[in-house]
Amino acid sequence: MTAQSFGDSLKNKFGDKLLEVEAAGVDQLYVRIVPECLVEVADYLYNDEGCRFVINSGTDRREHNGKFLITHFFAQDEENLYIAVHAEVDGNDPRIDSITPVVPAANWSEREARDMVGVAPEGHPDPRRLVLADDWPEDLYPLRTDVEHGIKPESCPDVAMPLVEPPEGASVVPIGPYFPVLEEPAYFRIFVEGETVVGADYRGFYNHRGVEKLGCSVLTYNQIPFMAERICGICGFVHSCSYCQAVERAAGIEVPERAEYVRTIMLEVERVQSHLLWLGIAGHIIGFDTVLMQTWRMREPLMWLCERITGNRKTYGMNLIGGVRRDITADVHGDITDVLAKIEKEWRALYDAIPGDPTLMARLKGTGELPEEKARELAVAGPTARGSGVAIDVRVDHPYAAYDRLDVKKCVYDSCDNVARVLVRLDETLDAIDIIRQALDDMPDGPIMAEIGEEIPAGLEAMSAVEAPRGEVFHWVLTGEENRPERWRVRAPTYANLQAVPTMVTGDALADVPIDVGSFDPCFSCTERMEVTDLKSGIIRVYTQDEVLALRQSK
Amino acid sequence: MGFFKNLCNKAFPKSLWVYHTNTGACNGCDIEVIDVLTPYYDVERFGIKLVGSPRHADVLLVCGPVTRQIVPALKRLYEAVPAPKLVIAIGSCASGGGIWFDSYNIVGGADTILPVDYYIPGCPPRPEAILHGVAVALGLAEKKVAREHIKQLIDRNESISVEDDTGAEEVVPGDEVPAELPTSK
Repeated sequence: MTAQSFGDSLKNKFGDKLLEVEAAGVDQLYVRIVPECLVEVADYLYNDEGCRFVINSGTDRREHNGKFLITHFFAQDEENLYIAVHAEVDGNDPRIDSITPVVPAANWSEREARDMVGVAPEGHPDPRRLVLADDWPEDLYPLRTDVEHGIKPESCPDVAMPLVEPPEGASVVPIGPYFPVLEEPAYFRIFVEGETVVGADYRGFYNHRGVEKLGCSVLTYNQIPFMAERICGICGFVHSCSYCQAVERAAGIEVPERAEYVRTIMLEVERVQSHLLWLGIAGHIIGFDTVLMQTWRMREPLMWLCERITGNRKTYGMNLIGGVRRDITADVHGDITDVLAKIEKEWRALYDAIPGDPTLMARLKGTGELPEEKARELAVAGPTARGSGVAIDVRVDHPYAAYDRLDVKKCVYDSCDNVARVLVRLDETLDAIDIIRQALDDMPDGPIMAEIGEEIPAGLEAMSAVEAPRGEVFHWVLTGEENRPERWRVRAPTYANLQAVPTMVTGDALADVPIDVGSFDPCFSCTERMEVTDLKSGIIRVYTQDEVLALRQSK
Repeated sequence: MGFFKNLCNKAFPKSLWVYHTNTGACNGCDIEVIDVLTPYYDVERFGIKLVGSPRHADVLLVCGPVTRQIVPALKRLYEAVPAPKLVIAIGSCASGGGIWFDSYNIVGGADTILPVDYYIPGCPPRPEAILHGVAVALGLAEKKVAREHIKQLIDRNESISVEDDTGAEEVVPGDEVPAELPTSK
């Protein structure tokens, strides 16, 4: 089904409630609806059409039409289709119906829209803030255009995270915000009965840096790729690539074929690097430091190779709107094949050793279980989804760069536990090496940068997704004045995967919690949220700022 | 500085135990820190060891710009490290906020919250740079670049201290802009 025919079917179904339906190419559909029927449309897309919820976004458009634009993004992976559902709400009374009751995966992003632009999701089960610091003022919304990017409200040292009462009979084990096995700050309170985890309480967003605000108010189109790479220091290339693709698509810029191949090669090099890194960290988490030392030793020649190709070990600085800045010249081809051959040989040895290691298997098998239906409900991405039998991979489902011309396999396992997630990554690494070889062979000659004549006009939009080592990275760009986007929305895969933590840890032993969290390769710097879940009763407990203060005072 | 160096030489004669903290970094510096610990760079040959608790640490390695939310935790972390202690800021963000320096949720570099002893700039700094920085801190290697005046600081009328070749400290009042900036040693 193409975007056009899907749009027509929506029109037949909803009639006048759809104000505008616009297909962009065959794989992107933009729909503008009456805000009152948002829940109905979301319910239809999610429950009847089987679409996957991606993210939502809030945009302050009061300068243009006095309204806030709320956009929900859905993906139909089987049909290679992304759908953006726009709804405009009144600038003086910013409220919208919450879709979380029908689409559980929308939980965090609706709260984020409330924090950042101040559009309240009505009927949302969770009235707490999500992204901003505890002591951030109540009525200051950083993504509104009348708020300066450098605003620094007075800090208020006495406001802190509320302490949640554990279920009766359970004890609390606090982990974090600084915890040795996790590279980044995150605060978990694990509720245990004996050794068994019965609940978890999580507080994140320690790494919130205001990336989207800087992109929409300070930087220009061609400066953003360099900041986008610094969203994540491990898999930054996916962010700059996805952002550039979105702008190119919005502005109708044709990227030279050779540049697409260069992007593909660098994306796969990054995947190999990231999976090697992850396997080492996973070994470290379960106390098997030999794995850490071995995989990082294997990884180092790849870092030198990246430096040879791009000039930097990571944060490659290769992408610009319209192409890439450096070519992969013939004289590094030999280096690439040598390094790949070495890594492949050593990786195969590892591949045989890991499933045969009883200690490793004892720690990984049956822990961190995430059943398939839960994985679909929470819309998890990447190896976390594929380890739970959900066969989604952006490279195959929504091909970008040069992937439509290459042979890419989906690596899927269905045992739904930590072993599955390890095996997915083991397979994927070999697959990535294969893709790099194919791309090197097929790479055509030609320019690596498109000529861009005039300025990019305002008011155009496009979506773009890239399969990062951790899952689907999604960017949406709405072009604006002054040579910068009016709105740039980023969704990193950990945003979805982190919401699965409470499900994964329940029923495990306390000692398995770090590897459960580590098993989806969390990247908090991209994500950063807050959630309190009582797993025993299944009720998500929610605190407002006032309740937090009341709780503190009662202590 | 001379006194401090002597104290360090006494307190940390052979082995430094380090605790690594991320205050809002993108992970780039963090994984270069781990890289320094793994076989190719093997910082353990200098007796340097990554520990899991700040209570065991001599040195705090700080990566990333300091976000608003992490400030209280970072302060508590610093207090948990027993004295004498060193703080090393790793990467451009920890050294001065990096590209995020004026974002709404960023307080600044690590030195806005903690007294930082050594800065290792870079985005991310190479493992060799981290090794060199730590070696300078240990007194194993000579410092290669002298501290320089930063024009913006002088414009803001703030006093900054300048270290000359003899190691003595000299305080330059902010309004007297020196005719010549100190050059590299």
